[in-house]
Amino acid sequence: VIAPVDNPAQRLPPADSPALADLLRTGQVRRAQQAQGRPSRPPLSIGVPGLDAALGGGLSRGQLHEIVAPPSAGGTALLRAALASALRAGELCALIDPADAFDPRGARAAGLDLRRLLWVRPATLPQALRAAEIALEARFALVALDLADASGPRAAQARQRGAAAAAQRERGVHLVRFGPPRKSERISPSPWARLSRRAEQHGGALVVLARAPQAGAFAAATVELSRARARWVGSPGTAGRLLQAGCALGAVARSRRGPPSAPLLLQLPVLDEGAAEDGGAEPGEAE
Amino acid sequence: MRIACLWVPELPLVAVLRAEPSLVSTMLAVVQPAPGDAKGVLSSRLRLVGAAGAEGVVAGQTLAEAQALCPELRVRLASPERVRAAAQAAVDAAASVTPRLEEAAPGLVFLDVGGLESLIGDEAAVARELLRASERVGLCAAVGLAEGKAAARLAARAAAADARPRRTRAGVGGGALRVVPRDEQRAFLEHLTLAQAEVSPDLAAAARRFGLATLGELARLPRRELSLRLGPEGVALHRLAHGEDDSHLVARQLPEPFEEGEELDWSAASVEPLLFLWKALLDRLCARMAARGLAAAELCLLLRLAGGAWDERRIELAAPTREVGPLLTLLRLEVEARPPPEGVCAVRLSARPAREASDQLGLFGPRTASPTQLSAAVARLAALVGPDRVGQPCAPDVHRPNAFAVERFAPPAAAALDGAPQPQTGVQRREAANEDPAQVALAIRALRPPRTAEVRCGDEGQPRLVIGEGALGGRVTASAGPWRTVAEWWTDSPVALDSWDLELAGGLLLRASRELDSGAWWIEAVYD
Repeated sequence: VIAPVDNPAQRLPPADSPALADLLRTGQVRRAQQAQGRPSRPPLSIGVPGLDAALGGGLSRGQLHEIVAPPSAGGTALLRAALASALRAGELCALIDPADAFDPRGARAAGLDLRRLLWVRPATLPQALRAAEIALEARFALVALDLADASGPRAAQARQRGAAAAAQRERGVHLVRFGPPRKSERISPSPWARLSRRAEQHGGALVVLARAPQAGAFAAATVELSRARARWVGSPGTAGRLLQAGCALGAVARSRRGPPSAPLLLQLPVLDEGAAEDGGAEPGEAE
Repeated sequence: MRIACLWVPELPLVAVLRAEPSLVSTMLAVVQPAPGDAKGVLSSRLRLVGAAGAEGVVAGQTLAEAQALCPELRVRLASPERVRAAAQAAVDAAASVTPRLEEAAPGLVFLDVGGLESLIGDEAAVARELLRASERVGLCAAVGLAEGKAAARLAARAAAADARPRRTRAGVGGGALRVVPRDEQRAFLEHLTLAQAEVSPDLAAAARRFGLATLGELARLPRRELSLRLGPEGVALHRLAHGEDDSHLVARQLPEPFEEGEELDWSAASVEPLLFLWKALLDRLCARMAARGLAAAELCLLLRLAGGAWDERRIELAAPTREVGPLLTLLRLEVEARPPPEGVCAVRLSARPAREASDQLGLFGPRTASPTQLSAAVARLAALVGPDRVGQPCAPDVHRPNAFAVERFAPPAAAALDGAPQPQTGVQRREAANEDPAQVALAIRALRPPRTAEVRCGDEGQPRLVIGEGALGGRVTASAGPWRTVAEWWTDSPVALDSWDLELAGGLLLRASRELDSGAWWIEAVYD
């Protein structure tokens, strides 16, 4: 029994026990912070040790994380690496893939244990968000929400418009570049509030891959990737010419746990799927 | 042998109340057409098979007689679908207590209760558990427990007098029980009247001529003389009055599919009215499966069309579940995808059951998903996005670009993975060997279906410019290829194409293919 003392200053607690200081000041016994929390489990690796360190150990369970990357900057590769790490650890994972872009053959070659991966292919963006919520409620350890190409019906409409325009133009050259979605194309914040709350309630890590930041303050950490020059081997026009690797710069742009990290050069080697399944040839060995 | 008898008195009436619990507090008559009058439109030819709440109205009267006695009587036609489902529900309720049971007739189930003391408690507790199980599947039943089947049946009949149907969440409940201890069985039987002993009318009339009113009076007569005057039936009754019962319980295999059905008074021409019906059927079906610890692995929907034909739909579930919401959505999706050609006048829903998956969860550490939760989640996802769009991804052994397959999601238990070396391939081995901290394999984002594109090539055949849909276009700054794929030439859709890896001016990495026969270009994937 700890009784309140008349003069707390007479019994100053050690500087490193704020809970005890609080107790002596208020005279109230409260539940210890550590006891009321759930037993902690180690964070999930994102698959790149450098980024894991910048994230404070990896993807925290019970929190929402974002990977923001333009096309060909390794966003999908990083998402797949995070899935591979979690699956290797024996966790159950779910991939919500509204763009229907997942490549099972490449994933198997990259070492993903597909038996513990649930692949969900929603047709619309609202369905994708709801599917992520259901997966979190079912206590999947890692839920990957791939919104890189998907903006649901809007993207489909845009594609239709593009096809119509292509049909109209005859021989003209039409160059369009990727860019971040306009502000009006961003998903309203309420789904992210709900998803982050679900992740917290059920202890699953949610990773969202998008072309532009989506979740805002609801994301515990945001990993941003940018494209770097890809590496090719062999002389142009010869049979030995190969795409050896993509390259990207990755950094933790925002994190609740710490300051932004310095950019890290990511090598994204092209995997020879057949060789990887048979014996694991290095990319570019054919050269 | 101690036997319990679960009896649903007035099964057609209880079947109606189970389907329409709101009728519990009303004066209700259940009628069926007299033999030979298939349509049964005349109230004088409709005969009551059950009645509740109305004084003077009893089974056996015609509807005209009953309505003359009670004009406010609410009337329902006896439904074979409902009666069959109620009888099956009685078996399910009994099976939730013990697997050693025998269905002697629809709504009449005998159970061997030997050995249940350690599981449930004394005999009164077993009888109460049976009543609770009946209520869970929406039945008002009477439970008798005695030595032998005949005495148990009579105990159940005695209890039925105290049963008062009342509305419950699952349908109707409010049964009653009677437990006859071994040493009191003789006294219990002696006080039963011949009418309570369910004696045939001829034998009852003969016994009345002898001045016999109860089984006790019959038991005091010598058996030999009784057999001379009343025949074998009289001897059987004498043996029963002495508590002698040679009949044995013959345990039978329980019926495998769970069925619930309903007939409509009209023919439904849209999905909306059917949704209400399916919801009620699924509620009852899932309650019955829950009573036996099972879940639906496959649903079969039978629709009887206005023309009399049956339309059958089978829905294989991604994972066993008994959550009504997802199952209802799957039924709706199925019927909306292929509407029946005519109006629907009857519905039968059956479920192929599967055992609930069980797994030992850890004592320490946070809770993870149980197999049942996983199954329910997969079923909910299937209902949300479609059953063919949820599952475990598979890479088929084909050369077609972007080929994939989806299989049923059945992850191995975590324990099965412990200790087993995980296969390491490709990048994993490289990572292990090099320990390169910043290396992950470039992934492919498949474009399904592939996007059409116009590709202009240089003199040497190398692509120079891609004009594609939306952002998939630009000047080619680097390329590699072609790699020829010729496969499936023996099928109607052969694969014959040259593939290229392209880097566009903005840094976008693509995989494009040109069909050999048509020369058309497609963008199959984006490297990301």
